[in-house]
Amino acid sequence: MLAEDATQEVFIQLWRKIGNYKGDSKFSTWLHTVTSNITISYLRKQRGWLQRMFNIEDSVATYKTAEASSAEVDLESYIVRLPERARIVFVLHAIEGYRHEEVAEMTNMAVGSSKAQFHRAKQLMKEWMGYE
Amino acid sequence: MSKQQFEAELQQKLAELSKDKQPERDLWQGIELALASQETPMQLESRGPRVAGSKLYAMAATFAVFAMFGWMVVNQQSQALVGDSLVAALSEQHQQQKNALLVKFQDQPALTQNWQEQLDELDEAAVAIKSALENEPNNMALLKMLQAVHQQQINLIERVHSAKWSQI
Repeated sequence: MLAEDATQEVFIQLWRKIGNYKGDSKFSTWLHTVTSNITISYLRKQRGWLQRMFNIEDSVATYKTAEASSAEVDLESYIVRLPERARIVFVLHAIEGYRHEEVAEMTNMAVGSSKAQFHRAKQLMKEWMGYE
Repeated sequence: MSKQQFEAELQQKLAELSKDKQPERDLWQGIELALASQETPMQLESRGPRVAGSKLYAMAATFAVFAMFGWMVVNQQSQALVGDSLVAALSEQHQQQKNALLVKFQDQPALTQNWQEQLDELDEAAVAIKSALENEPNNMALLKMLQAVHQQQINLIERVHSAKWSQI
């Protein structure tokens, strides 16, 4: 549901920011970057309330031990299981193809942290996929 | 060896990952409400056709990128609007969705006899929550409850009219 809410927010913000597009880059590049930034900002705004209500990071972390590992499970379900920061970095870097420097800038974290979160994401997946 | 196998499997899974994902609900009504409340037709006209063309592209692209962020997020309440306006927008959007479903299924037999009673009970619950929200319009727990009740109504209507169950 949050993905849908975030999509709405992205469109609303894009509508307002469209005048900022100056033609310096391809429109698709500009759109992708603005969309990423709006979504991350949206997630950040939501996080405070979410953590107070549901303690998301903790609840996600419990999956590590609660779920059986299986190579048959699809990647999407592994991604959903990742802790938030690791999930965001994994999606931006592994799926969307952003460099760690770009991920770091978008998520307001150090480049080293982005790399560490990506490593963490892969380690968790490796474990869940039964390689450890 | 296992590291190489893991990397190979991960790359394969990444390659197989679906890039498209459709939202489960109509997102337009919420977008329209948010935009309509802040822009007049005059303002829209003054932006000109070039920008309007870009907007159409943005509109299409926005839904395409829905899939990109589906994994990054977890279930939660919208904050695009706040307070009374959010409650009103949620209620209106839900009412339209509910009405559309009821019209769609009006000639289709329902699976259970008392589904309308259940619908009414959920309506009463929604009224009670909205009443509480009048005092605390930004209470996210209440807003989340309201949305959950709305979703239960939609699920109920769809479930009792589901062709899949009717065939069993």
